[in-house]
Amino acid sequence: MRTVLCYGDSNTHGQVPGGTLLDRYPYPQRWPGVLARELGSDWYVIEEGLSGRTTVRDDPIEGAIKNGRSYLRPCMMSHAPLDLVVIMLGTNDLKARFNQPASEVAMGIGCLVHDIKELLPGPRGSCPEILVVAPPPMLDDIKEWEQIFKNAPPKSRELALEFEVIADSLEVHFFDAGSVVGCDPLDGFHINQRAHEGLGVALAREVEAIGWK
Amino acid sequence: MPDMRFAPPNPLRIADRATGLNSVSVRSYNERLVLSLLLQNKSTTRLEIGERTGLSAQTVSVLVRSLEHEGLVALGAALKGRVGPPTVPIELNPEGAYSVGLSVGARQTDVVLIDFVGAVRFHKTFANPAITPGSNHTQFLETIRKAVALLPEKERLRLAGVGMALPHSASDGQDEEAYFIALQQEIEEQLGIAVFVQNDVTAAASGESMFGVGKSLTDYMFFYLGAKLHGRLILNHQIHNGNSPVSFDVGIAALERELARDGRSVDALWDRSGTWPDRDEIIQMWEARLVDEMLRSLAGVSQFVEFESVVLSSYAPYSVCEDICLNLEAACPSIKAIASNLKPSPKAVGAASLPFSSRFMVK
Repeated sequence: MRTVLCYGDSNTHGQVPGGTLLDRYPYPQRWPGVLARELGSDWYVIEEGLSGRTTVRDDPIEGAIKNGRSYLRPCMMSHAPLDLVVIMLGTNDLKARFNQPASEVAMGIGCLVHDIKELLPGPRGSCPEILVVAPPPMLDDIKEWEQIFKNAPPKSRELALEFEVIADSLEVHFFDAGSVVGCDPLDGFHINQRAHEGLGVALAREVEAIGWK
Repeated sequence: MPDMRFAPPNPLRIADRATGLNSVSVRSYNERLVLSLLLQNKSTTRLEIGERTGLSAQTVSVLVRSLEHEGLVALGAALKGRVGPPTVPIELNPEGAYSVGLSVGARQTDVVLIDFVGAVRFHKTFANPAITPGSNHTQFLETIRKAVALLPEKERLRLAGVGMALPHSASDGQDEEAYFIALQQEIEEQLGIAVFVQNDVTAAASGESMFGVGKSLTDYMFFYLGAKLHGRLILNHQIHNGNSPVSFDVGIAALERELARDGRSVDALWDRSGTWPDRDEIIQMWEARLVDEMLRSLAGVSQFVEFESVVLSSYAPYSVCEDICLNLEAACPSIKAIASNLKPSPKAVGAASLPFSSRFMVK
């Protein structure tokens, strides 16, 4: 049996667009659940989606617990051995409080990839396969989030290219979620149930295409 | 050692580093490995690429994505296997690259334009160009220009180059390889297009391996039936002893003499329309002598290597080649003789395969 860790933010957690932190799609409708269904019983899918998670940044407002880098190591150690780590992060790094361009967010993804390669949580201490997923770009209308994500939508459209550059140079798998799904207009940056379904199916095909012996 | 992890990444995606096919940038060895697999097999998978190249799954993923961005490969629909996960076939994109091939024959020059999977998009036959005194190459320039003009404007950027197949006699007593290299450089300089020159029989053999019935064969004996009979040995997909000038005078020129002696018309023999004279006694006797000569070659080669397949290529009609193959198999039951299906001019298609092998494959 193979194990995949899905490491992400609210869009991995399954937060309902336009809802509150308490509104979460049930497991079979969240993309990790869809991925599990598509991959079948040979795969164990671990969900690790936290609302507000950044790549490598301590959030001065929401707290250091949202830093994706500090939690990734203990998280991988608890779930090792991992055959595959899927990382879909980056949207929260675009909050005005961090004031970062897309390229810096991609550098953050690069840090996470280095941390995985250093920890080696794969089978027999090997390096697991790493799949970097660029989050779907935000819509221009992000409703009441406009101030928190000031100037973020145009930057969010640059994430896919910047992430692919990092994935290429670090030689890891890459997938652009924006190529199959978009965000829901209810809040402009969360994905709805249909998008979870589409993303889960598309990622399952990506996972299979890696080619497992 | 300083910590290199946080240096800025290369500012371009791998896919963006090559700016179209005509850039001089050298394709990476790993990309060539992947493209070689695809040019040798109809389709492959990332798993298979990894197994056959020893590259990691992540490296293969980056390479395939880059080739896909560049338009050289396309992903097929996932195939559900009986066991295991579905596999996603990776294939060459037919419109990913084009190549022009010229074959200069005894009487005429055949020009083809092929796509990345070897399908002939255009074919024209020109009269052989007249040699301009004092020049090595001007007789080819106009023909090459005409050939390149066959390609629609927007596809010119995807032209991998021009391949030329010349008979051994073209080098006119000079060292063939040196002559071809000099010719290649002169034409490239004049036209600014990548040009590859090769012996015509060797070119036909490489075309057969890349696009013809030889694709699935690792080792085989290749015969080309032109005015004379020529042979090449293919071992592990490599054409052995490339440019041998040895040929046997039992080819179509010999048949022409026989028919002429009998006062019969011989025009049909040199015509590409595919209708030859009826298979009468003269033709049958010629075929028998031809098969004898092929058997002698096979007997000689089989002292050193074992092979099970023979491919016969010719611009003669397919039915004639099939007859000869049947006779050969009857005389030597241990081998399988296959008539080439490369049409309309195996040498020109072979010439067109040269830019692909030079630019996209590992040596």
